[in-house]
Amino acid sequence: MRHKQLAILFYIFQFALFSQDQEKSKTQIQKTSLSENFWDRTEFKVGFVGTVFWSNGLSIGGEYLWKENEKTKIRRGKERTNTHQFLFNGNLGFVTNFSTKTDTGAYTNFGLTWRRTNKKGKQFSIEMNPLGYYRSFLPETYEVNGDSVDKVFLPGRGYYAPSLSVGIGRKRKGKVRSANYFNINYTMRTPYNAGALPTFSFQYGFRFNFKNKKR
Amino acid sequence: MNLPTNTFKIVLLLFSVLFIGSCSNDHTLGNLDATVFVRHKDADMPAYIRGNGTEKVFLITLHGGPGGAGLGFQGNAFDQIEDNYGVVYFDQRGSGMSQGSYSEDDVTIDLMAEDVLALVKVLKRVYGDDSRFFLLGHSWGGALGPATLLKDQDEFLGWINVDGSHSPKDLYFEYIRNFERVAATQIELGNSVRFWESVFDELDRVDRNRVTLDDFNTLNRLAFDAEEYLTDDGFIKKVENGGISVSDYNLLTFVWNLLKIQSILDDDFIGKLSFTEALSEITIPSLVLWGRYDMVVPEFYAQEAFENLGSVNKRMVIFEQSGHSPMFSESNQFAEEVLRFMDENK
Repeated sequence: MRHKQLAILFYIFQFALFSQDQEKSKTQIQKTSLSENFWDRTEFKVGFVGTVFWSNGLSIGGEYLWKENEKTKIRRGKERTNTHQFLFNGNLGFVTNFSTKTDTGAYTNFGLTWRRTNKKGKQFSIEMNPLGYYRSFLPETYEVNGDSVDKVFLPGRGYYAPSLSVGIGRKRKGKVRSANYFNINYTMRTPYNAGALPTFSFQYGFRFNFKNKKR
Repeated sequence: MNLPTNTFKIVLLLFSVLFIGSCSNDHTLGNLDATVFVRHKDADMPAYIRGNGTEKVFLITLHGGPGGAGLGFQGNAFDQIEDNYGVVYFDQRGSGMSQGSYSEDDVTIDLMAEDVLALVKVLKRVYGDDSRFFLLGHSWGGALGPATLLKDQDEFLGWINVDGSHSPKDLYFEYIRNFERVAATQIELGNSVRFWESVFDELDRVDRNRVTLDDFNTLNRLAFDAEEYLTDDGFIKKVENGGISVSDYNLLTFVWNLLKIQSILDDDFIGKLSFTEALSEITIPSLVLWGRYDMVVPEFYAQEAFENLGSVNKRMVIFEQSGHSPMFSESNQFAEEVLRFMDENK
């Protein structure tokens, strides 16, 4: 019985291997030569960040294009070209809950973004930010030590806060407002109470390439 | 390369508005609306202070759970209390929007009681040493309340126990007895017979001699279900209004905190913790408020709390059309009882 299962698996596997080779033979990858100018490869972004119901805020950031290549595939007899980019990115944001003022904080994070853009300008991206810091800002806070009660200056707590975002967007070629984006973001805050707090938010905003203005 | 100055100014302005909006507090005694954090032993815990503080008399509330939300008391009853006195809704350690950094081993009911006394110190610092306090605990707050009062009851003018669990040690066995009693009655009356018969099936599956956390949680969930059936069959009045509004808490943070603090504390108090014997040491005026059809902390505990409290001035009120939360089901009568107690003892 066991041998029979292995034989079936091997049979399926050879098809997978064969089809992968077929795919490879239809794909061409061409590395794009990028401008040496820093500003040509840099975009800025600004957008809403939050959960709408509980927290709302603003996020700004920048992206620097590190690598780019064009992948051409032939599918169903048609040639399709997608641009794949790797970008360094950094973000700075501020979020608050106006209702109770208990979920206010600023964050910054840095990492790498992979983005695919198709011929129509539709984009899909995955952003990983292993370097992240979140600083909560609390309203009026008093620290109690025994019988002494002292008002805390600039109260809040700092957390290591790496994040992961998955998003879509649309590129606007040659425009200063060079793209819009919508990301779903997962961030972990640790140490938080007696563990690590998972948080989710979404981001909607625009990217800008001010160099495009001069063209 | 110039950034457009207008864009920069707008972004800066938005950041400023967000920051200022997130820090404002109103301590006007006649119309309190402030959120103050208490920093104590590596935790930052929010106290939402609302209502009328002109007499500097405050009702400090202890929510259920553990892991509930301070603002969960809000509704018609507490609106009426807020019209007369200051009300302090407190997110306990590891609950609601509390934050901090500590180990699981650090979290004990003893420390949480110290947190409540730290809150009193902060309120005195903000509103003056002439401020006076009542303490109200609901459900799990009915365990944290005695724990606090046994440390220092001189800080409080009175204790209000609302369907409070002062003895989680025996609760499991009382669940079984209460389910058997109520299920038999309801089947006899022909109400939701299928559900009440399934309750007997569930009782057959749990261990009747030994408390296990899984079985306790099964019966606890069943108690909440049972109250829904009792509501449908007209024994418990439907909730008029109340609870948390969607913008008050970050739902994900709230749920994560709830699960975390329960996973830490449940082992320590279910089947173990009991203040029944120690209640006699509580001598401040006390009010015991209970729902007749409370399936979560059955009515048996109302009588036990009332009989064991050491207070000379004590009163027990049973709400005939309520379950575990009379502040929502019979809100006007609830507010009336609390206000009368506060008026008489302030």
